[in-house]
Amino acid sequence: MSWFIGIDIGSAYSKGVIIKGFELVASHVIISGANYRTSAESIRTDLIRQVNLTHDDIANTVATGSGADNVYFASQKVSDIVCTARGINSVFPQARTVIDVASQSTKVIRLNGEGKVANFTVSEKCAGGSGRFIEVIANVLRIDLSDFGPLSARSRTPITFGTGCAVFGESEAITRVSEGIPKEDIAAGVNKALASKISSLVKKLKLEEPCAVCGGGALSIALVKTIESELNTTLLVPPHPQLMTALGAAIIAATSATPESSKKQN
Amino acid sequence: MTKVVLTDKSSNLLSAIKGPTGPEHRQLANEVMRQALEQASLQIDDISCIVATGYGRVNVPFADRQITELSCHARGVSSLFPNVRTAIDIGGQDTKCMKIDNGRLTSFVMNDKCAAGTGRFLEVTATALGIRLEDMGDISSKATKKIQISNMCTIFAQQEVVALLSRGEKLENIVAGLHDALASRVAVLAHRLGIKPDLVLTGGVAKNTGMVRAMKESLGCELFVPEEPLLTGALGAAILAKEIYIKTVAEGKALPTKSRRLEKATFFT
Repeated sequence: MSWFIGIDIGSAYSKGVIIKGFELVASHVIISGANYRTSAESIRTDLIRQVNLTHDDIANTVATGSGADNVYFASQKVSDIVCTARGINSVFPQARTVIDVASQSTKVIRLNGEGKVANFTVSEKCAGGSGRFIEVIANVLRIDLSDFGPLSARSRTPITFGTGCAVFGESEAITRVSEGIPKEDIAAGVNKALASKISSLVKKLKLEEPCAVCGGGALSIALVKTIESELNTTLLVPPHPQLMTALGAAIIAATSATPESSKKQN
Repeated sequence: MTKVVLTDKSSNLLSAIKGPTGPEHRQLANEVMRQALEQASLQIDDISCIVATGYGRVNVPFADRQITELSCHARGVSSLFPNVRTAIDIGGQDTKCMKIDNGRLTSFVMNDKCAAGTGRFLEVTATALGIRLEDMGDISSKATKKIQISNMCTIFAQQEVVALLSRGEKLENIVAGLHDALASRVAVLAHRLGIKPDLVLTGGVAKNTGMVRAMKESLGCELFVPEEPLLTGALGAAILAKEIYIKTVAEGKALPTKSRRLEKATFFT
């Protein structure tokens, strides 16, 4: 059985997976940094080392994400919408809507009965409507990104942000901190602001259930819960939400592998 | 910024002071007031009427009246430029476009939702580029071309300008691109209201010569800029204070005033 790699170079994080058959056997996530080419290389090296393989063992590699062009060793580039849809479909075949909360934008994808992309909408590149808002406010609160969700889950009285803009939100958070408002209430306020922007994007496309959520934003259970209550639905959360697009790319690599494309690997 | 303008009964400027607002200074309008009084060699009891305006107008405990910044700006601008029909105020917090008729505000549009359409866009990107906000005008005057900034969101533009710099693009061309980006967004807002000459540009951004140039290009018409573009709101408040006072006295009534004690606002505690 052959091995396939999917690499998703995002604006903030680069993600890679190896699959064997259709099973995920290794994954790696790094900060994209300034040089996407180096990031792509180091992901491949790490993935291959994890499963004790050599480059020759990889039958095909597919690249996706905004930096896909930098994955020079991939046989093809596929749009992240298609890859995310494929990745989610492999985990949740029943999903009809996918919300991908990424660092630069939020995407909502409608899937048809066969799990193919029927329609999609992408938020403007606005930090106030993407996972970036969480990063900005985590920085103000001086907390780790991974602590943001658990901290905000403890809030009983989330603050309401005056604007949906991350820049104005940052100043507002600083003011709230100086007023002595607890960190968890500020963090929970971010979830509320973000969830309301995300849910209006979902409503634009019309919510068809069941709905799955993925992307780095889905790592925050508190954010997922807030979106759930905004949309009044239960969201399907995959075990590795950040890897869904890379997983989709690997699956596409596996299903579209031809002798020519695998030759290109070397 | 917190600004104080003191005028006499003929609206002549006696003193004008600007001080930073910031979260911790929000309670300290009294500090700026004290400096203004000192400059004019007056006592607080000498003041006939005090009008507070701006976002923090409720945080001025010694003000007799609170009037919206829109009304005050319109009044202040038209006292300096009697023929003004459109005033555009670009500040660090919002951008306002005002239609003015005979010195009165008739309609307005405003952006306080997205930093990318306000002076904050320049503040944030200047910091990212390691330059001072007040130097942006001079820097952009050396530009040979305008580099298009593809990200609208201020947060992402911040990364973009740093990436442009590391790619070897000239600082002055990047700054000219930033001015152009902001100016074209403000122009869209202004056109929603409809622009009529004379046009006046105020707010902190009007001190940036590069932005004034970019605004003229984006709007395709001439712009007037007051000598002190930050003070038009406070000036309008002072003129309105004078009018309130004169009207009340003419009616033979006494103007109910707040206690003339210079103390800080205590709404936080």
